[in-house]
Amino acid sequence: MIPLGFFVAISAVLFCLGIYGVLIRRNVVGILISIELILNAANINLVAFNKYLGTPDGMGQIFALFVVAIAAAASVVGLVLVIAIYRNGKSIFADDYNLMKW
Amino acid sequence: MTELIFYFIAVCTCVFAFLTVTARDIFHCAVWLAFCLLSVAGIYFYLDAEFVGVIQVLVYIGGIITLFIFAIKLTAHIDDKTILQTNKQVLPSALAAAVFFYLLFKVIGFDPWAKIQPDVQVISLKQLGESLMTTYALPFEFISLLLLAAMVGAIVIGKVKR
Repeated sequence: MIPLGFFVAISAVLFCLGIYGVLIRRNVVGILISIELILNAANINLVAFNKYLGTPDGMGQIFALFVVAIAAAASVVGLVLVIAIYRNGKSIFADDYNLMKW
Repeated sequence: MTELIFYFIAVCTCVFAFLTVTARDIFHCAVWLAFCLLSVAGIYFYLDAEFVGVIQVLVYIGGIITLFIFAIKLTAHIDDKTILQTNKQVLPSALAAAVFFYLLFKVIGFDPWAKIQPDVQVISLKQLGESLMTTYALPFEFISLLLLAAMVGAIVIGKVKR
């Protein structure tokens, strides 16, 4: 059987790639896609630790389900905000929107 | 044999995640994300978490990817090839992500739990449902409330104002 460290390593790879994507993308939809990668990294950790450390009631899997539900809600609100912003300013690039900068 | 399957899924996950963050076209980006999420669902199946894997495929690939593609297509004509998709911080960002990954890798390598062997018991779907309806009933209800609020908020924000 594969040791636990391998799953944590995959999770670390996904997390770092997600952070890189959040930092470099100009397109707001691209930033949201990278955030989904980060949430999946957290989910892999939850499920792997649940499998290896063995909780009787499946706490890790249930938390992973909650994370999936919250990710769905977050991306729905995020994408609707992107569409509303695009309707106003005809651009979805993050560096075009600095009107809240002081 | 099972190790081989695991390594295949792991390499798929990492390669698809890399393509997701580096693809130039934002539509390709969403498609690579779908493949990456499918590989992550494979990891869940490998860890005997069938229910989480099925939910991953249903909610992520069936729902969220479709939403992303809708959002990309509704904001179309931005994806023409001459517009730069990345900002000026590519090198510092890559450096920061690499340094952070190195630190995480050190921690994973040193810690004794990297060698823990798995628990033999498998959590059945029945057990999962029971604890979702008893121990975790309150957070479950709050999640439904959150989803309702997100839905109403999305409709209000997305409505065209006259």
